[in-house]
Amino acid sequence: MSWHLTPAQAHEYAAHRADEITAMSVEAHLMHCAPCRSLVPTDEQWLADSWAELRDVVDRPRTGPVEALLARTGLAESTAKLLAATPRLYRAWLAATVAVLAAALLAAHTLPKGSLVFVFVAPVVPLLGVALAYGRGVDPAHTLTSVTPLAGQRLLFLRTCAVLVPALTLCTAVALLLPGTTAPWTAALWLLPALTLVAGSLVLGRWMHLSAAAGVMGSLWAAALFTLFLVEHSAPVVLLAPPSQVWWGTALALLLGTLLLRVRTA
Amino acid sequence: MSAPAAAPPVHVRGLVRHYGTRTALKGVDLSLGRGVTGLLGRNGAGKTTLLRCLATDLEASAGEVRLFGLDPERAAGRTEIRRRLGYLPQNPDFYPHFTVFGLLDYMAVLKELGSRRDRHDEVRRVLVRTDLYDRRHSRVRRLSGGMRQRLALAAALLGGPELLLLDEPTVGLDPEQRIRFRSLVSELAVHSTVVLSTHQIEDVAALCGRILCLDRGRVIFDGTPGDLVERARGRVWEGAGDPGDGCTSWRLADGRHRVLTPHGTDSPGGGFTAVEPSLEDAYLLYTGMDRGRG
Ligand SMILES: Nc1ncnc2c1ncn2[C@@H]1O[C@H](COP(=O)(O)OP(=O)(O)OP(=O)(O)O)[C@@H](O)[C@H]1O
Ligand SMILES: [Mg+2]
Ligand SMILES: [Zn+2]
Repeated sequence: MSWHLTPAQAHEYAAHRADEITAMSVEAHLMHCAPCRSLVPTDEQWLADSWAELRDVVDRPRTGPVEALLARTGLAESTAKLLAATPRLYRAWLAATVAVLAAALLAAHTLPKGSLVFVFVAPVVPLLGVALAYGRGVDPAHTLTSVTPLAGQRLLFLRTCAVLVPALTLCTAVALLLPGTTAPWTAALWLLPALTLVAGSLVLGRWMHLSAAAGVMGSLWAAALFTLFLVEHSAPVVLLAPPSQVWWGTALALLLGTLLLRVRTA
Repeated sequence: MSAPAAAPPVHVRGLVRHYGTRTALKGVDLSLGRGVTGLLGRNGAGKTTLLRCLATDLEASAGEVRLFGLDPERAAGRTEIRRRLGYLPQNPDFYPHFTVFGLLDYMAVLKELGSRRDRHDEVRRVLVRTDLYDRRHSRVRRLSGGMRQRLALAAALLGGPELLLLDEPTVGLDPEQRIRFRSLVSELAVHSTVVLSTHQIEDVAALCGRILCLDRGRVIFDGTPGDLVERARGRVWEGAGDPGDGCTSWRLADGRHRVLTPHGTDSPGGGFTAVEPSLEDAYLLYTGMDRGRG
């Protein structure tokens, strides 16, 4: 054996602070090295702890694939667990999003002005996800979970992240695959409206169910598109034109400010 | 926000709760300490609404709710209350694809129960208490109704709450489990405040040191089971013959009738004699009074 435990290592191991790999090699070493064994305290508490740890490892349920993946990205184990536990509808939304975006991409490549489909659909993709990820009515366990200390703002924030990250990733990927994108930034025109609609629904969520709030924001978007379409068939594009982006940006800043203020003063 | 040390776990003054135009609670006053309090009342009396207000699930439309001296309408107070609270909702629902252990572990994260090991130990503890340990790896959708009810109870017990709110906890439990439940709750009530709503008079008789009767959103009785029985004295009769309309009565196995007379002590008829009231008689008299009148 080429090494022996330093007192510091022995201490780390005894206090359960050694990482799993180190702990395993320490254990292998202790099996056949009496001098090192005597370095590791063998008090009752420590033995009991080790047994409890061992029992937990044997007895605890296997971690699901999503949770394991999230934990590997460096998230805290408990956060990964909260993020992975999403209602069925959320997963249905994720599947539907992939399908709709694929259809939009197809339209963009086969129809004249087909890119517009994506541009008008993309802003409501994250909004729908938010509507289906949190709250009474869409989350069967809501009555159980809503009165826990982490429920409310924190869980809502996590679920919103669980929606925004895949939604924005997927939409960006599709935007980059659109044909005839003259300047790179035109592929990002949907982003500010998308974020504004989500922020708006979170602000409204104080007075109604989140899914209803998302419904209101989605309807406003559809109504705006439709009204402009009646005025002139190409007019809806105005909603995404650079001057409008300034308005979207302002609205988003105001809504985020409201949300922040609400969290602070609640 | 710090709570005064001696604040009672539950203190409610003039609690009103509307659902749209319907008023489910019309000015409820109550103050609860340690022990088990039974919440009785007909369907729609407001039991669930009251429990949801106490569980920080619903906000009061008017009146004052203080739990451990904290205000549930302020975020800081609400979070602190939720740390000390266990709630079993009426008709609880879960994620069907979760395992029993996984679901409780998820709830334990939401209840901030510390590191993974501590959390898992706590999950095992409540699994054993609710006799679900052997089913810990089953999917929730494969559980029977009574097991689901126990799973919801296990979730409410996580973290050893000081205030336990149980909405019809014994629905669907078999007799053996019901006995287990009773001994569990009486044990917990030594150190914590338990409020349970039920339609099972035997549960109340076995468990509750105090009874609250709700009727159409108002507390119409607040006292011990003994007090309630006392009020029924002289209003319960047995005898042969037809008791007539206007009072609650039912036929006994031997063919005679047991009659409850809500308004005073006049005998329902010649062949009837006053008998010792049971808690069930008393409960029926209390909650049935308005029906008699109206
Ligand atoms: N979410 C709701 N929306 C509208 N009205 C409601 C709602 N929940 C309860 N109510 C009404 O409030 C009143 C009190 O209902 P609650 O559920 O508190 O009664 P309960 O005493 O728990 O009845 P049960 O014994 O049937 O469980 C009833 O009239 C009911 O119709
Ligand atoms: Mg109820
Ligand atoms: Zn050695």
